[in-house]
Amino acid sequence: MPKLVVKDIRKVFGTFEAVKNVSFQVEEKETLCLLGPSGCGKTTTLRIIAGLEVPTSGEVFVDGVLVNDVPPQKRQIGLVFQDYAIFPHLSVFENIAYGLRVRKMPDAQIKTKVHETAALVDVESVLDAPGKKLGLSEMQRVAIGRSIALDPKLLLLDEPLSNIDAKARERMRAELGKLQKEIGIATVYVTHDQLEAMTLADRIAVMKNGLIEQIGTTSEIYDNARTLFVANFIGSPSMNLIDCELVYSEERAILKSGDFTLDITEFAETIKGKPKGKELVFGIRPENVSVDIEKTDPTAVEAEVQLVEPLGAKSIYHLKISGVTVLAKGHPMAEVNVGSKVWATFNKDKLHLFDKKTEEAIF
Amino acid sequence: MRTKGTAGRIARYLLLIAVCAWTLAPVAWMISLSFKGPTEWYAPNIVPAQPIVDNYINLFIPTNPIGGSHFFTSITEPITKPLINSLIVAGLGTLFAVLVGFLAAYGVSRYRAGGTFTIFFTLLTRMLPGATFVAPLMVFYSSIRFIDTYVGLVLLYTAVTLTYAIWLMKGFIDEIPPEWEEAALLEGASPWTVLRKVTIPLTKGGLAASALFIFILNWSEFLFALVISVTQVTTLPVQISKYVSAVGRMYGTQASIGIIATIPSVALGYLIQKHLVTGFTFGRVR
Repeated sequence: MPKLVVKDIRKVFGTFEAVKNVSFQVEEKETLCLLGPSGCGKTTTLRIIAGLEVPTSGEVFVDGVLVNDVPPQKRQIGLVFQDYAIFPHLSVFENIAYGLRVRKMPDAQIKTKVHETAALVDVESVLDAPGKKLGLSEMQRVAIGRSIALDPKLLLLDEPLSNIDAKARERMRAELGKLQKEIGIATVYVTHDQLEAMTLADRIAVMKNGLIEQIGTTSEIYDNARTLFVANFIGSPSMNLIDCELVYSEERAILKSGDFTLDITEFAETIKGKPKGKELVFGIRPENVSVDIEKTDPTAVEAEVQLVEPLGAKSIYHLKISGVTVLAKGHPMAEVNVGSKVWATFNKDKLHLFDKKTEEAIF
Repeated sequence: MRTKGTAGRIARYLLLIAVCAWTLAPVAWMISLSFKGPTEWYAPNIVPAQPIVDNYINLFIPTNPIGGSHFFTSITEPITKPLINSLIVAGLGTLFAVLVGFLAAYGVSRYRAGGTFTIFFTLLTRMLPGATFVAPLMVFYSSIRFIDTYVGLVLLYTAVTLTYAIWLMKGFIDEIPPEWEEAALLEGASPWTVLRKVTIPLTKGGLAASALFIFILNWSEFLFALVISVTQVTTLPVQISKYVSAVGRMYGTQASIGIIATIPSVALGYLIQKHLVTGFTFGRVR
């Protein structure tokens, strides 16, 4: 039985439809990431699950039980807020013990439970510190500790890393991942950072304008983006997306964008029935464009290097191919500089094609 | 702020002294007056030539002469009852205003209770001079037999200061991020427990500042007390106005009531000064 079922959730604030129609499930021990730009309805969805917002319509089931009419204090759901919401007037111990005290657990038991939880989230050394004196990393761990001390049925995290600078974020992301494995509670994680989603989630639901665009495992989302939005949102640097039109010449199917052309006859079956002149968007991830000094592949096309971004182990090449800019990610090559003429090869197995009008993937 | 050099420091102290003198001069004059006999009431000297405590004694024994002179007034009873009356009505009025005001402010701050108009409307009542309410209030109060009763005055004080209570405390509650309350809620606390264990502890500085502010308003209120009271609920400010004799105002006696009347507010302020620091910085709790 799924731990959490969200069914046809809709939420309207005044005239603004924050969540249009969202449904998904989270299995036991699974982490589902709600990923999307700000304002896409992901936090509202999370707050509806927690019971802090009442959905305009739709149902939420926890452990198979409909919880729509259950107030938040009775749902047994842990929530880690974006700002952590550590009670400033209480010590770390009392913060973690808060829910246990509310439940009138005997003192001795509270003590054991708090120490157990503190050990898990590694805050034993600051148990006596007041909430307002904590650093961000400690706050994050205390917030998680407070949420899990009650053995919730479900853990919700609302952008827990978004207020942290890039350097610390990397470390805390790793810590969080490790902690998640140890805790093993079904989790819904809200973020706008695709990298966070990729590293922490078992499955990702990409949201846009109050709707789930695509839901699937990390690799499904990455390799088989079902819409233009998902293709563009996931991956860094993002996928090359080039507006083009379909032309047929001498039985061959060709994508054309200005002077740039790409033969896609091999996909004839898939694109059958698409009329000539159809507006399409062709996409390929930078790592699927290889850059060579010599023409080693017969399908390679000539390109001019406009910019090289060395990232250490990899480099990102900004290429100009027949007037179209294409990013390629590959091994650093000392002899490739701005202005160099190189040969670019597209890995045809990794091509994506989208209908420009419907924004949906053709393949 | 750090001002460099001795000149700057001297200037700063001079300014502070000037401000203190400005504030404390009337208090000093009041203290001086309260120890003066009738012959000195109009004299410009700050130190009484013949200090006496008759003014204070007269408050409690109205027949006692002041500096040898007898004053014929309508006052027959000691100041004790008005003092107790003032404590009762100002205290209860403050308590109710803070209680009701806090809950109202909470509703407005968290749930936008009443929309934007209601909260503005409460302010509107404060834009009219109190005197405009006197006539209708008298008619209304006499018909429900509230004239000269504690209930009448306490309810009136609560109503009059409620606006301040709501607006002051709304500011303090607005400063508390709702996430703290939501976090407590998700930990299993009921909404009332959240108020008691999270919101109130975090806003107690603001509550203390609001309570003191409202207490001072109630404590010094004159107009409504004058029209509502007859004999039973006379408050200190009203009592002060009664110290008029056939030959003129009894300044020394009035000054000594002033001194006594100052004590409760100052004492209250002193008791809660720890909270006032956070309160008067307007809720910067973090």
